[in-house]
This record gives sequence, C-alpha cells and structure tokens, in this order.
Amino acid sequence: MTYILQLVTAGLAVGSVYALIAIGIVLIYKCSGVVNFAQGAFVMMGAYLTFAASRLGLPPVLAVTLALVLMAGIGVLAERVVLRPMLKAPVVAVMMVTLGMLIMIRASCLAVWGPDPLAFPRIFPDGALELFGVFITYNYLTAGVLSILLSLGFLGFYRFTAVGLMQRCAADNPRAALAIGIHTSNQVSLAWAMSAGLAGVGGTLLATLNGLSLGLADIGLIAFPVIVLGGLTSLGGALVAGLLLGLLQSFTDGLLSPMIEDLLRAHTRIYSVGALQQVVPYALLVAVLLLRPQGIFGRKGSERL
Amino acid sequence: MLAVNDVFAVYDGAITALEQVSLSIGPGSLVALLGPNGAGKTTLLKAIVGMLPFERGEVTAGDILFEGASVRGCHPAVVSRRGIALVQDGRQCFRELSIAENLRAASLVSRQGAADRFEMVLHYFPFLKEMLDRPAGVLSGGQLQMLVIGMAIMSKPKLLMLDEPSLGLSPVMVQSVFDVVERLHREAGLTVIVAEQTVPRLLKLATDVYVVSRGRIVMHAPPSEMTEERLQRIYLN
Repeated sequence: MTYILQLVTAGLAVGSVYALIAIGIVLIYKCSGVVNFAQGAFVMMGAYLTFAASRLGLPPVLAVTLALVLMAGIGVLAERVVLRPMLKAPVVAVMMVTLGMLIMIRASCLAVWGPDPLAFPRIFPDGALELFGVFITYNYLTAGVLSILLSLGFLGFYRFTAVGLMQRCAADNPRAALAIGIHTSNQVSLAWAMSAGLAGVGGTLLATLNGLSLGLADIGLIAFPVIVLGGLTSLGGALVAGLLLGLLQSFTDGLLSPMIEDLLRAHTRIYSVGALQQVVPYALLVAVLLLRPQGIFGRKGSERL
Repeated sequence: MLAVNDVFAVYDGAITALEQVSLSIGPGSLVALLGPNGAGKTTLLKAIVGMLPFERGEVTAGDILFEGASVRGCHPAVVSRRGIALVQDGRQCFRELSIAENLRAASLVSRQGAADRFEMVLHYFPFLKEMLDRPAGVLSGGQLQMLVIGMAIMSKPKLLMLDEPSLGLSPVMVQSVFDVVERLHREAGLTVIVAEQTVPRLLKLATDVYVVSRGRIVMHAPPSEMTEERLQRIYLN
C-alpha cells in the first residue's frame, strides 16, 4: 500500500508540471487558434534562464521570477513578430512556423549553454518528508504543490477576473469582443505572455526534478497527449489530464513494467521492456483519438490536432 | 451628435463600398437607415465604430465626428468608450459564456453604474433573469437579439446603432425588438440608428430617414415623406 501511495505522489508531482505546460498550449490555442509546437522550447528556455539568473548570484525566488518575466516577453515577441504577420496563413504553415521556433530556440540554447546536461542550482531544500510511511523529497513535493497552485491560480484568474473574462470573450468570438471594446490583439499577446511564462516556471520545476538539459524541450511532445486527453479547448481538462497522465506514467514505471518484464523473462528471452512509461502517453493519445476524439472534457465539434 | 462628412470606404484597397456619404444625426433622434442588401449600410455602421480595418476595409476619405471630435481611424475600443455601441448583424455574442458573463463583459468598457444598467437590462428583458447562469448559446434567435441589445446597453452608449435587428426573426419577435428599441429611445433617451432593408414599423418610429443605395446616400427625408413605392423605386433602380 505504501508503495502505491509512493507511486501516486510521484505521479501527481510530475503530472502537475505536465498540466501547467499543457494549460499554456490550450490557452494559446483558445485565444489565437495556433497549435504551439514551440511550447517545449519555452519550457527548456525558462529553465536555462533560471539557471543563468542563479549563476549571476540572484536568490532562487528572484531567479525564477526574472525567468518568468523574460519568458513572458519572449512569448509576446513570438506572437507579435512571428505569428501575427501569419494571421491569414494556412493552419499548416502556422504549425510549421511554431516548429521552426522550437528548433531555433533549441539551437540558441545549444549555442549558449552547450549540449551537456548541467547541474541545476538547488532551489528547494534537500531531504524528504515522511507522510503515512510515504517518503517524498522536498523537490517533488514543492514542484507538485507549486504547479497545482499555479494551475489553479491561473484557472481562477481566467474564470473570475475582468482580464480573464476579456480573454474568454476574445477566444469565443473576436468580432463580438471588438464590438464591445476589447482590444483582441492585446488579449492574444497577453495569452502568449502568460503561456510562455507558465512554461518557463514549468521548465524550472522540471529541471529541479530531472536536471537541466536540451531534452527538456521534449516535454512539449508529452503535453500534446495531455491536451488531447483533456479536450483541446478545456483548461480544466488539461489540468486533470496532466495529473492523470503523470499517474499513468508513474504506475507504468513502478508496476506495469516490472510485471511485464517478469512475464517476459519467464516465457521468452526478452528481459526488459525499456522505458515503457515513455510510450504510454502516445498510446493513450491514439486510444483517445480513436474512442473519444473530443477528449474527456472537450465538446463534440472541437478541432483536433 | 454624429456627423459623417463625405466618407469614402473601400475593401481590399479596391472595392468601393461607400462614396461621399454624409449624414447628420442630432441627439435624441431615431434614425432609420434603409437600403437594399449590399447597399453599404453595414459598411457605414462599421466605419463609424472603427471596425472596417478588421474586415480588410478602410475609410479612405472624409471624416466622422462624434460629439464634435473625430472618431475616424479610432480603434473600436476607443469608439465604444466614447459612447457608440453597435449591435452587429448575426447576433454577435459569446455563446460559450453565460448570459450574466456576456452582460458583464459588455460593461467592462464603462464600469461605472454597471449594476444599475444590469437592472435596466433585466427590466427591459425580464426573461433573461431566469437564465443568467445558462450559456448564451442556448437562446433562440429572438432571445439572442434581445441579449445583444442588452449587451449594448451595458456599455453605456449615448448612440445605439442596430444592424438589421429583424433579420431572420418571426414577425412577433420583430415586433418585440422594435418595441424595445422604441422604449429605449423614449424612456432612456438614447439616440438610435437602425439599419434595415424595409420595415414598415420602423418608419412609424423613426424621426428621420436616410436611404442608401450602391454606397451612396440617395435620399434623406422625414418618415412622413417616405412611402413604400418610393422605396421600391430606389431599390429596383
């Protein structure tokens, strides 16, 4: 039982970071209709910027805040300079541009910080907390709690504030939003800023768990099964789906993989199934698209990736 | 209150939609802007509120003055803050948001007195009271038309413009819509412009009539001089 609880806590911690990143993708899609494949690059760059700010001697909180602000600026820049001129371009062309941004940002980080993984500065205290026999490191605990708080805070902001209402109006019907005096283009810029900022914080939290490397950008690919599962346009769905996927990966790694390996060892010469948990998100993606294309929380008629 | 002086407008830089359009509207009037389909009524209303640039159009010459100050080239948000509200054709609202949120969103441009205007909207459209938490998407065409008029009221307009509010509505609903327009004009003292193709009821309410055809104002007359035959002649020509 303790082992199961251990898997649950680890799954929720990682899943909450997935959710944070996926919420950013959904936000951009709702407000600007763009499927942003560069979100993984924003995640990675946020972590590198926190790293750089820490190297300058800033305390962790300031380093993360500075990275968040810089990432928000990069988000606005990406929207204004790259995406806005492509407003009337075909969807596929816009998707290709976001892929291009992913490659460019990754190449820039490679040029500045090199290809090797870097030791990420310690942001959270060492050690672990024991709760009902379950050990959870402060890293996992803080990353999980912070991600969930940020996600809930963001959902609350979107649901209950005037700016959130303007964002929802611009996403629902830009023509009507204009007519009631909402600067729709500013709302789109704000969505990109918030999305990139969230991704930057998510990247920092992931780096505290898994270390800092260019591979952090791959998280963007895991976020896509999350948003398909949650429904492409549902922010709450992205949160729940992120947590579900984290749990699923944790249980696959801790329970399913060893069971399958035992079975294979008994009957075949295969001894390992490798990182099966890496495959799970995409298997889930295919299953969801086949069985419930609108995702768990999406409505029929929502566009699919 | 509103003066449109020799305005020209084009779409895609080439297609002329308005040619030397001029009109003058005094405070407290209810103006009927009549014209056949494609005459330029919608373009004129969008030119006034600054929405043309968002639909690949632009005002290329002339000026639009509201309360003595030019609004030509202003962003719709600025025009809305100055006190002009446009109820667009197609009942443009936020169908995924609740009715209360639709009304609240429309008040963001002018938050002072929003609570009073909210009560006023519910007074004019009592059916909304029972449905405030429901998504706007569940409303029927007529109810949606009432909601978008309510949203316009929430923005605290001095000049309310309605673009073909009767389009696609049953005669009973058209009657209700014009009842509300008439009450808003009479009781709330709003200056109103209603663009329509032809509605006999509108001619009874209007204090002034402009007729648009092929992007030009072809007639300006008091409603008493505007007969169905004259309108037919203009439309057929």
